[in-house]
Amino acid sequence: MLDVSKHPKAAGGNTAVRTAARTRLISLCVNGQWHEVAVKPRNMLVEVIRDTIGLTGTKASCESGTCGACTVLVEGRSVLGCITLAVECDGKQIQTVEGLAEGEKLSTIQEAFLDQGAVQCGFCTPGMLMSATALLQRNPKPTRQDINKALEGNLCRCTGYNSIVDAVLQASGQGGIKPVMK
Amino acid sequence: MILFDFDYERAGTLEEAVALLARLQGDARALAGGTDLLPSMRMENIKPSLLVSLSAIAPQEPGLLADGSIRIDALSRLTALENSSLLRSKVPMLAESAHAVGGNQIRQMGTLGGNLCQEVRCLYLDQKHDYQFVAPCYKRGGECCYPFPRNTRDTCWSVYMSDIAPALIALDAQVEIVGEAANRRVRVEELYTGNGLRPLKLGHAELLRAVIIPPPPPAFGWGFHKSTVRGGLEFGMAVIAVALQLAEDGATCKDARVVIGAVREGPVRASAAEHSLRGTVLDQASLEQIAAEASKEVNPLPHHGFTKRHLMDNIRVYLRRTLAEALERALNPNPNDPRCGAA
Repeated sequence: MLDVSKHPKAAGGNTAVRTAARTRLISLCVNGQWHEVAVKPRNMLVEVIRDTIGLTGTKASCESGTCGACTVLVEGRSVLGCITLAVECDGKQIQTVEGLAEGEKLSTIQEAFLDQGAVQCGFCTPGMLMSATALLQRNPKPTRQDINKALEGNLCRCTGYNSIVDAVLQASGQGGIKPVMK
Repeated sequence: MILFDFDYERAGTLEEAVALLARLQGDARALAGGTDLLPSMRMENIKPSLLVSLSAIAPQEPGLLADGSIRIDALSRLTALENSSLLRSKVPMLAESAHAVGGNQIRQMGTLGGNLCQEVRCLYLDQKHDYQFVAPCYKRGGECCYPFPRNTRDTCWSVYMSDIAPALIALDAQVEIVGEAANRRVRVEELYTGNGLRPLKLGHAELLRAVIIPPPPPAFGWGFHKSTVRGGLEFGMAVIAVALQLAEDGATCKDARVVIGAVREGPVRASAAEHSLRGTVLDQASLEQIAAEASKEVNPLPHHGFTKRHLMDNIRVYLRRTLAEALERALNPNPNDPRCGAA
């Protein structure tokens, strides 16, 4: 049971004074590897993953939960790293885009993105890959409509989405590989 | 990135969270999904000195009560609502409204209670630009409402955007509120003040515990529509939720609830339209006339670049279609509704 009377702000009753927030030590299991990091409550998950842990594959773009570029999997759920506090993820399993490939070997979904030309500028791609991974985990044979709905939270301003949907279809074993021009 | 410091506590129960919120007298906020609160804090519309996280409190599964009503934990994630087989069979309107919210990730993160308690939105208010710092509006303690300069100090024409609240009001749902002194139970429509400056009738130390939806009456039909530009990952330009009950003859309307959201400071019931629906034989002509009346009655606020005229036309057309859809469902009860399918 949490003792509220011990809370530093509760003591004097003067709520106008802002004290510096405590830095705390949290542990995050990112792609199977545990990291102990010191964070302030205001640090977002994407800042910790990029700046503290140094995995810059996850992108921070709109930072207001609009674009989906910062999508990571927390305990298998696709969440937006830019509007998730890092302290909320203490002790949790996190998968980022770096965790998809095994060594030099790309995962099926990454190969499919390459085959279909689903990457242009590439800024949305890490988020797209994580959303697609989450979709394929809960629905291994999605229809085009399912994919559209699952990727609605990820904005891409280059590809027009069709090649991305084709890539997810290919990764689920439902679409052919586009002939590549040599 | 949030540019100011705040403290963080994780509460083990709702009562603990309420006690913490009460100690800080309005300077603390409860954090559930964070999809609305954290962007607001980033824009510095809200600057609490403490966040009380509810993430350690596991929500209960939606359950059927003895009297046939359904109890849904306010901390349920929106994906849990849209994928719950109980809700999809018993209250498909709620599942569909949860399905309409934001994008996939937002629904994975956001909770039912958080959706009901979201802040009102306005293009001027929701910007982290120099303007809001140089010239803040009334809601941020400034001296003028810049989008509507004729507004007085106690008026704020920002818009409440929840997709789920209209559906719950149409279903006549109630919310259980945990407070410091006592718990209370109110109807969902009584949560809203209708004033953008302070849109919720909730004390600073009050939290939603659960939503209770009564069983539907016989010959019941529902309709839900969210008007959008892109069809995904956006706030609605108008959200329409309709619940109809037919009389024994199968053509006359016995009771009706028509709720329009995302056009005013809170969800609005079109009472005059509901009144004219009661006792009316429902056909294309009467629905068309009632929808036109309702769009005038609701008197939408221009918001997010949509003019009042545009929104009135939108409500008129889609309310007619939604009413027709509800009538269709009331006439053919229990159809296997494909529109409720979640990916």
